[in-house]
Amino acid sequence: MMQAAPNALAIPPNEAPTEYWDSARILALLTDNLVEIDAADRPQPALASAWQSEMNGKRWQFTLRHGAKFHDGSAASAAAVAKILGELHSGWIVRGAGDSLTIESDSPMPSLLAELALPRNAILKRNPDGILIGTGPFRVAEFQPGRLLKLAANEESWAGRPFVDGIEIDLGRSLRDQAIAFELGKTDVIEAPPQAASNGGRLRTSLPVELMALVFPANSRAQDVRLRDALALAINRKPIQSGLLRGAGEPTAAILPNWMTGYSAVFPVQADVTRARTVLADSRQPALTLSYDPRDPQAQLIADRIALNAREAGITVQVSLSGTADFSLVRIVLPSPDPATSLREAARELGVPQPLIHGNAVDDLYAAERALLDGHTIIPLFHLPVGSAAGARAHAWEPARTGDWNIPDVWLEAP
Amino acid sequence: MSFRQKLLLLFAFTVLLCVVVISASVWSTMRSSFEGANEERANAIAAQFRSEFQRRGDEVVRKVEAAAATENVQRMALEVNRGASDSGSDVGEARNLAEQQHLDFLELVDHQGIILSSSQWQAKFGYPEPAIPAAIGSAGGFLKREELPNGSTLGLFAVRAVRIGEQPLYVIGGERLDQGFLSTLDIPTGTRVLLYQNLDEKWNAKSLLDLNGPAAGANKIAPLVEHVRRSGEETRDIIHWTADSADAESFDAIPLNGPNQHLLGVLLVGSSRRPLVELQKKVVSTALLVGGSGILVAVAASLWFAARVTRPVGSLAEAARRVAVGDLAAKVDIDSNDELGELASAFNRMTEDLVQQKERTLQAERVAAWRELGRRLAHELKNPLFPLQVTVENLVRAKEKSPQMFEEVFHEGTTTLLAEINNLKTIVGRFSEFAKMPQPQRKPTQVNEVVDSVLRVFQAQLQQKNQVKLRTELETDLPEIYADPDLLHRVLSNLVLNAIDAMPQGGEITVRTRSVPAAVELSVSDTGSGLTPEECERLFTPYYTTKQHGTGLGLAIVQSVVSDHGGKISVESAKDRGTTLRIELPRNEFPMQRHGDTAGRTGTL
Repeated sequence: MMQAAPNALAIPPNEAPTEYWDSARILALLTDNLVEIDAADRPQPALASAWQSEMNGKRWQFTLRHGAKFHDGSAASAAAVAKILGELHSGWIVRGAGDSLTIESDSPMPSLLAELALPRNAILKRNPDGILIGTGPFRVAEFQPGRLLKLAANEESWAGRPFVDGIEIDLGRSLRDQAIAFELGKTDVIEAPPQAASNGGRLRTSLPVELMALVFPANSRAQDVRLRDALALAINRKPIQSGLLRGAGEPTAAILPNWMTGYSAVFPVQADVTRARTVLADSRQPALTLSYDPRDPQAQLIADRIALNAREAGITVQVSLSGTADFSLVRIVLPSPDPATSLREAARELGVPQPLIHGNAVDDLYAAERALLDGHTIIPLFHLPVGSAAGARAHAWEPARTGDWNIPDVWLEAP
Repeated sequence: MSFRQKLLLLFAFTVLLCVVVISASVWSTMRSSFEGANEERANAIAAQFRSEFQRRGDEVVRKVEAAAATENVQRMALEVNRGASDSGSDVGEARNLAEQQHLDFLELVDHQGIILSSSQWQAKFGYPEPAIPAAIGSAGGFLKREELPNGSTLGLFAVRAVRIGEQPLYVIGGERLDQGFLSTLDIPTGTRVLLYQNLDEKWNAKSLLDLNGPAAGANKIAPLVEHVRRSGEETRDIIHWTADSADAESFDAIPLNGPNQHLLGVLLVGSSRRPLVELQKKVVSTALLVGGSGILVAVAASLWFAARVTRPVGSLAEAARRVAVGDLAAKVDIDSNDELGELASAFNRMTEDLVQQKERTLQAERVAAWRELGRRLAHELKNPLFPLQVTVENLVRAKEKSPQMFEEVFHEGTTTLLAEINNLKTIVGRFSEFAKMPQPQRKPTQVNEVVDSVLRVFQAQLQQKNQVKLRTELETDLPEIYADPDLLHRVLSNLVLNAIDAMPQGGEITVRTRSVPAAVELSVSDTGSGLTPEECERLFTPYYTTKQHGTGLGLAIVQSVVSDHGGKISVESAKDRGTTLRIELPRNEFPMQRHGDTAGRTGTL
């Protein structure tokens, strides 16, 4: 049995990390993407067994896995997959013939493989009842919206039948409820805070795949870049990490984590209140309102702490969920090990213009990220891992370092 | 104003003054006593609240001690000494402890004063707690301003050090000092408690709290709070909420200081003044009733006493009045041995002396009058007698020496003799008339009518003497008087006649009547040569005359008539400017005029 807490199966997943992971993990059970990207940013075959690019990345050709079928028995043919992807991306020209699928675009698509590996590009369709139909190792057996999702093993999965016969996913459960159920032995796999320790369970934490940051919308009263700069300097990330995040995650001033880019240390994270005051230079600045995601149990405390830090620098910050916020404390998922893709996804989630990445070199990526951070409309705070735990009777529990679960590989001891 | 009235007024004033002085003294004493009692009550209430504060502080101390004794705090203290405690690693611990101990605030602070965990502001870990240095020595509760994410508030705090090793871990916990705290206080009936949280630099009405939140009418209390803020001392004042003094409240403003003696709040213990004011009103109304009654009794006693004191004086006055009008038989019958008795005896002796003196005077006057009469008679009679003697001697001589002329001389002599004898008869008739002056027959008389009748008589005579003019100035609404019109007619005739005689060369006679207080004035003025002061002085003396052929009885008769009417006559004259004789006849009722009659007869003019 598995616990998760999506209210509904949303495709593409909602922006909140919890919902993203819920959806992404369920989709991973139900269906496949054409390719997958491993933690080393290497593409791995999935529904497509081979691929190649042409025309300087403007045209990609995929060879689909032979014999793959949807849960309704229909063949996951190139034409069927092309239809699904074509509906998802109007800017692409997707063609399918035989086992060959081609994707063309007017501009080069160097990160197409990472893009295709995103959950929102899962090869998925719905039957007339709205039930999701994919090619994955499990199929929907029962769905009670908001309460329960029962999955059954897909006997005809191209990757082979999973070890477990089925999965029951209780929907809408909080982390605390999940933890209690886990402690009582009522569930085998749960989401868990990365810093939590569970008795008798095995906690696994991913690489830092989430970003916690402050984002200033266009209508913020913090129009003065000095104010945003001073605020960035005033925030002391280390105590927040050690105290409020219980040591999890990494303080950062970059959007992309160091494991993706290797250069995040270039962005300094040390607080400098004196310099923050100097930056403000006795200028009169408006009091700011900071909002946070109330669904995030740690967000309020972290927002309070940021307000406290800001006060030290002479910036008045009121933490509030009402009214129009001048800036927000947000947490987003960096969904791909591919840094360029994650940077684009982060920009999309944070509501800032898409970065201009002019090449595949690290310098190009750095320049694009630097450009995003200039002006301090985004103040990265932490890169956070995600955690999960499996009970003692679950074997072969080895979630991916990107946060994905390997449920199909898990087998259970008989009770 | 009579002596009795004056005495009564004096007594009344004295009594009133005494009542006022006593009332003021009693009021002052009572007010002082009441204020003293009220102050004692306020002190007792304030002491009670201090005790309550102490008790609540002790409660906080116990809770903080309980929190300090928990296993987790002991563990944290151990970790602090080991240096294993990471800033913020126990962020949530304070909140758990606060919930366990039912404390609003709880912080765990290391030996450097750095917050390890805060229940009231969880994000504040790693920041210094500024109150620690001053609060370390506090054994009991103390006040502290607590900064919270949404502002500041006041709290009653206690601090305890947990020492495991060299470096202590401080547990500082407290309860919020707001309306909720006030509601838990044991408030005596008739009192209420307000709390001013001195969190701002200036007075802030919203910081004044009662049991329900921001207190109504806070601005009326602002001066009291401001005074405490400036002086830092306990202050007491009365706040008048309405014009009714019973609605006022006596407030004791107690400064609430933190460990560094910084004023953090003002506790205002208010007690209604209604019981006090109502008691004062009751006492005042009773005092007014008693005082009023006392004044009435005192006035009555004053009346009785004044009557008792003034009765002999009144008798003396009455006797003096009788003496004044000539009744020298008046006696004062006062049977007392005091000064009034002596005065009465002296008065009686005086009247007796006056009687004797009067008798002697009358006797001397009679003698003098007879002498004067004799002199006048001799003078009057001497003039006719001399011609008689000469005539008779001529007749004799003519008989003896010239018988042929005797007939002629006889005829002339007898004519002369008859003329002189007639003259003698006239003189005798006048004296007889003066002697036979009748008593006035009074009746309501209009003086103007008398004037008119007299002037009609003289009108014909004056028309012959063209050189004398007659003028009248008569008041039209002249009141009637009780008088004998015939005698008045005679009086006025005499005066007019005198005036005519005073102006042989002609002139003007003016007859005036007018009302004067309690009398009617009748005056006759001439424009003659006037009189000397000596003449004026002797003018009314009988048989004194300034005229060549007068008897000196005319004005004496006038004076006699005026006196018989209780009036008075006066003369005003200046040389070459004429003379005015002025008569005042009283308008008294008839019984009073009896006095006048007596006075007139006895010649008191």
